[in-house]
Amino acid sequence: MASCAVEGGCPSDYIAVAIAILSIILLIARSILPCVLHKIPRTKGSGFWIPVIQVFASFNLLLSIVMSVHFLKFKKTHWMLSCYIWGVWVEGPLGFGLLLSCRIAQAFQLYNIFVKRRLPAIRSHIFLPLMLLPWIAVAAFIHAKKPLNARCHMGTYWVIPAVCLHILYLAALVGFTRAIQHIEFRFDELKDLWHGIIVSALSIGLWVSAYILNEIHEEISWLQVASRFLLLIMSSILVVVFFSISSSQPLLSQISLRRREPLEFKTMGKALGIPDSGLLLQREPVVAIDPNEPLEKLLLNKKFRQSFMAFAASCLAGETVHFFEEVHELAKIPIDDPVRRIYMARHIIDKYIAAGAAMEVNISHKTHQEILTTTDLAHADLFKNALNEVIQLMKMNLAKDYWSSMYFMKFKEEASMRSSGCELEQMSGWNYSPRLSFVHATDDPFHHDHFPKGSSHDSYHSD
Amino acid sequence: MGLLCSRNRHSNEADAKENAQAEEIERRIEQETRAEKHIQKLLLLGAGESGKSTIFKQIKLLFQTGFDEAELKSYISVIHANVYQTIKVLFDGLKEFSQNETDSSKYVLSGENKEIGEKLSEIGGKLEYPRLTKELAQEIETLWKDPAIQETYARGNELQVPDSAHYFMENLQRFSDANYIPTKDDVLFARVRTTGVVEIQFSPVGENKKSGEVYRLFDVGGQRNERRKWIHLFEGVTAVIFCAAISDYDQTLFEDEQKNRMMETKELFDWVLKQPCFEKTSFMLFLNKFDIFEKKVLKVPLNVCEWFKDYQPVSTGKQEVEHAYEFVKKKFEELYFESNTPDRGRIFKIYRTTALDQKLVKKTFKLVDETLRLRRRNQYEAGLL
Repeated sequence: MASCAVEGGCPSDYIAVAIAILSIILLIARSILPCVLHKIPRTKGSGFWIPVIQVFASFNLLLSIVMSVHFLKFKKTHWMLSCYIWGVWVEGPLGFGLLLSCRIAQAFQLYNIFVKRRLPAIRSHIFLPLMLLPWIAVAAFIHAKKPLNARCHMGTYWVIPAVCLHILYLAALVGFTRAIQHIEFRFDELKDLWHGIIVSALSIGLWVSAYILNEIHEEISWLQVASRFLLLIMSSILVVVFFSISSSQPLLSQISLRRREPLEFKTMGKALGIPDSGLLLQREPVVAIDPNEPLEKLLLNKKFRQSFMAFAASCLAGETVHFFEEVHELAKIPIDDPVRRIYMARHIIDKYIAAGAAMEVNISHKTHQEILTTTDLAHADLFKNALNEVIQLMKMNLAKDYWSSMYFMKFKEEASMRSSGCELEQMSGWNYSPRLSFVHATDDPFHHDHFPKGSSHDSYHSD
Repeated sequence: MGLLCSRNRHSNEADAKENAQAEEIERRIEQETRAEKHIQKLLLLGAGESGKSTIFKQIKLLFQTGFDEAELKSYISVIHANVYQTIKVLFDGLKEFSQNETDSSKYVLSGENKEIGEKLSEIGGKLEYPRLTKELAQEIETLWKDPAIQETYARGNELQVPDSAHYFMENLQRFSDANYIPTKDDVLFARVRTTGVVEIQFSPVGENKKSGEVYRLFDVGGQRNERRKWIHLFEGVTAVIFCAAISDYDQTLFEDEQKNRMMETKELFDWVLKQPCFEKTSFMLFLNKFDIFEKKVLKVPLNVCEWFKDYQPVSTGKQEVEHAYEFVKKKFEELYFESNTPDRGRIFKIYRTTALDQKLVKKTFKLVDETLRLRRRNQYEAGLL
């Protein structure tokens, strides 16, 4: 018993290591499973990297504890197995420090967006290394001074500043979270952060006591073994429970397996509870569409907008109408509800404005910069200029051809059928009116998922 | 999409014959489906404002029925919009210069032109533009003639002033006429940023009316966000007509005012050349806007653009213009041959164009047509059709 307490290899050690491995597997499964199960596409940017870094940091933390606290029996002559590398560097800057820095980065981002109401000035890939600097400095200092004894214990004098650093970062996380606690988040961000803080505080408390016991009472072998065991178990639980990321992007929150299905909301509008968002109201009044009216007024009619959207999609210009729709939904959110406005604004920016976005719209550089450097994400006129430009684009490019397209004809037929009280169910898609479906050439590049093959959707085809 | 294009060629000798046979069969199937229709796919590619849509309009004018009165009239709103947008860009640019420049006395408007400017700028920012009346046209003309605005126009390359600004400002009286019907030239000068894709199908009726050639021409938007849509058109293309405006070497992009237009064109051309789908596609490079280039190159040296920084002017006048043009042409050729050997089997031709000149475009297109026909005949004779 005495030897295994000193050199490692006690049965309890093996159990602890096994549990640690299990928790890592669980962690990785939790991060990959939502993507695989729900087939959600990978996010770009920090939404993807921060969870990955968290997993990496968790792994490092557990590994550092295993390597530096004598769980396993192996020769310690190799330099790679040195205490300093595992106990100091991997545990600190690459383990616990990194883990907490990710959370602090997230809280900082939320603070920027919801309290300061602007897009974060410091990108997370700069912020994160910045947060790690104190850890690196302390690790370098410890490495230089070399206070660790042969059993990788620091001694009382050095334990105190080490623990203080751990607690300092926790305090920073608490501080940022308190700054945003008055915000009514829609998607459990705050709950997740508090959750993370409580878990880390609890585990740090237990961990510190185990650590101290381990360090200080080197002579009592059962204490060594027990505290070691507790240390690793505690860390394993910590990393698994600590890991849940919530960004304020519920549709893309692929990492946390919530109770709520992530795909419940197909649009951000629905997720935020905007009235009539995305619904096709059957009882909408049948309005006669007058081509002489300005396009922006006509587009307010849902059915017309759908028809126009399908037409635009067939000419590969669908993002204009989608942008119009989402900005319109943003306008429905009252001014005195800045949190929801900010969610929607961010969603619109990520989807339509950011360079390389999936549905980037064609706007000028000035307008683009105005939106990205705004000082108030909840401002009523944030997208006014962009919307103007997009509407001009629609008017000049698409409107003219829409009136002579098959989509408009179909829309008129549907409207007249509806107003004459015919059952809508009788219209079975595209083939309800043979004269409208003139066959298009088979190598049609504009084939879109909306319409089945064979229906004509090329209005530019001059005969 | 892209199944044919992105297939890797295995250079294993044992499989080579098998692969060659499979390729042969696939090629025959592909050619047969195409031969049934004789339709050749042409793509107009290029950066923003390089002249693609103007070439498109010219082709429409040349080989289709042209524009009827209704269609000409539909351009009135576009032309009026261009007028308002131009004067707004100039006025806003003037304000910007007067704030930033140390010597801002040049950028001070005289008398009541300031109020006129504010009013026009506000109109230009609206969604619905008012009809261009005689009074408005007069005000715009007064503002245009103001020396401060002319100074701003001289620095138009730093702003997003459209190339046809001068044309619009000079024809204001005609545009504001109550019974104004746009001429063909007006329609060609009219500027609309293309979004999405537009196509037409036409048959170049030449001396030999039994040609049977049918072309399908696709026009696209050139700004960065539009380029992600290009990929949908890349398969089965006979020829790519790449438009490069050689006169915008001192201008910046509409969608990114930090990037030089010529550098963007260079990178875009390189990217298009490297597309696997275009391995056997003919490339027709249209070095467009030569008319503007002619005038500009004598005033603004080519080496303001990083790509042309090793340019040395040799003379003046027409000789200089020719020398500069040959230099630019050589640069594009170098770019092409950086990654393509001449015996690759892909046709690459450069044409000097001014998209607004109908005769020139007609002549150029006839050359393009001949080249493509020759290629088709060669392919046929080689047993590939």
